[in-house]
Amino acid sequence: MNIPLNIDWQQILLHWMNLAILTGGLYFLLFKPVKQFMEKREAHYKDLDAQAAGKLEEAERVKAEYQARLAGAEEEIHQSRIKAQAAVQQSAEEQLAQAQAQAKQIIAHAQAEAEHSRERVMRESQKELRKLAAEAARKLAVQADPFSQFLDLAEGGRHEER
Amino acid sequence: MKQHKKGLALWLTAILLLLAGALLTGSPGRAEGVQEAMRDAVLHNVNQISLFGWKTVNPGMISAFTVTAVLLLAAACLRIFAIPRFQMVPGKLQLLLEETVGLFDRMARTNSPHRFGFLGAYIFSAGAYIFVGTLFELLGLQAVTTHGTPVTLPAPLSDVNAAIALGTLSYLVILSGGVTANGAKGVGKTLKEFSLPISMSFRLFGALLSGLLVTELVYYFVHLSFVLPVVVGVMFTMLHALIQTYVLTMLTALYYGEVSEPSHS
Repeated sequence: MNIPLNIDWQQILLHWMNLAILTGGLYFLLFKPVKQFMEKREAHYKDLDAQAAGKLEEAERVKAEYQARLAGAEEEIHQSRIKAQAAVQQSAEEQLAQAQAQAKQIIAHAQAEAEHSRERVMRESQKELRKLAAEAARKLAVQADPFSQFLDLAEGGRHEER
Repeated sequence: MKQHKKGLALWLTAILLLLAGALLTGSPGRAEGVQEAMRDAVLHNVNQISLFGWKTVNPGMISAFTVTAVLLLAAACLRIFAIPRFQMVPGKLQLLLEETVGLFDRMARTNSPHRFGFLGAYIFSAGAYIFVGTLFELLGLQAVTTHGTPVTLPAPLSDVNAAIALGTLSYLVILSGGVTANGAKGVGKTLKEFSLPISMSFRLFGALLSGLLVTELVYYFVHLSFVLPVVVGVMFTMLHALIQTYVLTMLTALYYGEVSEPSHS
């Protein structure tokens, strides 16, 4: 049979064989190794990505943990502050009470001292008065003529009226 | 500056002298007319090459074997010298290789998400074959025909047999995907697209042949052989190398994905 366009089945089969050799050869020599390398690199970067994601997750977890701890510490600080304020308040009150007690004691002591001083002064005054009275009596007893004294006194009074 | 002008004048004179020489010398006469040359570019029934004395084949067959040899040699060199030195941060060559492999692998994954392992490898090699095979015609390698005349080796896929082989092989790959994923249902799904091997084959053949015919026509006439080949020979070839690579690999991946999709019962 005369096939148009000079189509030759034997040559078509030879071309098929040629293409089969080319496909196999290029697959084993180029396509497969290059693709394998690309897959290896992709796996490498995926692995790096996964590692980075893991580290990020770990960092997030640690951050959350520290934030929780920080929140706890703040609460602790708050409690400690309240406790310290209470202690300071109590101490101040104690000191105040102590100071008041001391003040009372000082006042009582001062009052007692004053009383004691007053009594002593009174005693000394009475003693002085008695002494003066005794002196006056003694002087009266040893004085000159009462009449001339009377006169002197009288003259002295006149002079004063003038 | 003066020396620069002198050099420029010398260069232009040399070009003009060579052009005049080429035009005045003339050619020893053509063995075939333009109709014959273009007819042979399509049918390959005149200029044939002996394959190791076993059989006469189209020049495209020799081109196909040469392209495969070049690709496998380059792949072997890359496997031995470049791939073991691959780094985590790629260099230029590594980036090029990874991008090329990644491009076809991604194309397979995107278009056929259920089954893409073999598909990626197939469209990678088919893409490399079409791209390098199309650019191969730019080299203008010569071979000797059975008549003892030299012939420039064309792009492998400008030979209808090569285009049919690649189109039908792609169809068989699609069929294999359907069978592996869905069994008899996959066969039915693939056979539904019965026009696919023909459309794939002749799309490749037509695209590559048109390039070949234009180049053949341009080089046939001496006065068209200046400047014009830069556009039609290099830029068009590069452009349709990219386009045909993309079209065939994309279609194969698309149909493969369609037939290998698990059927919802």
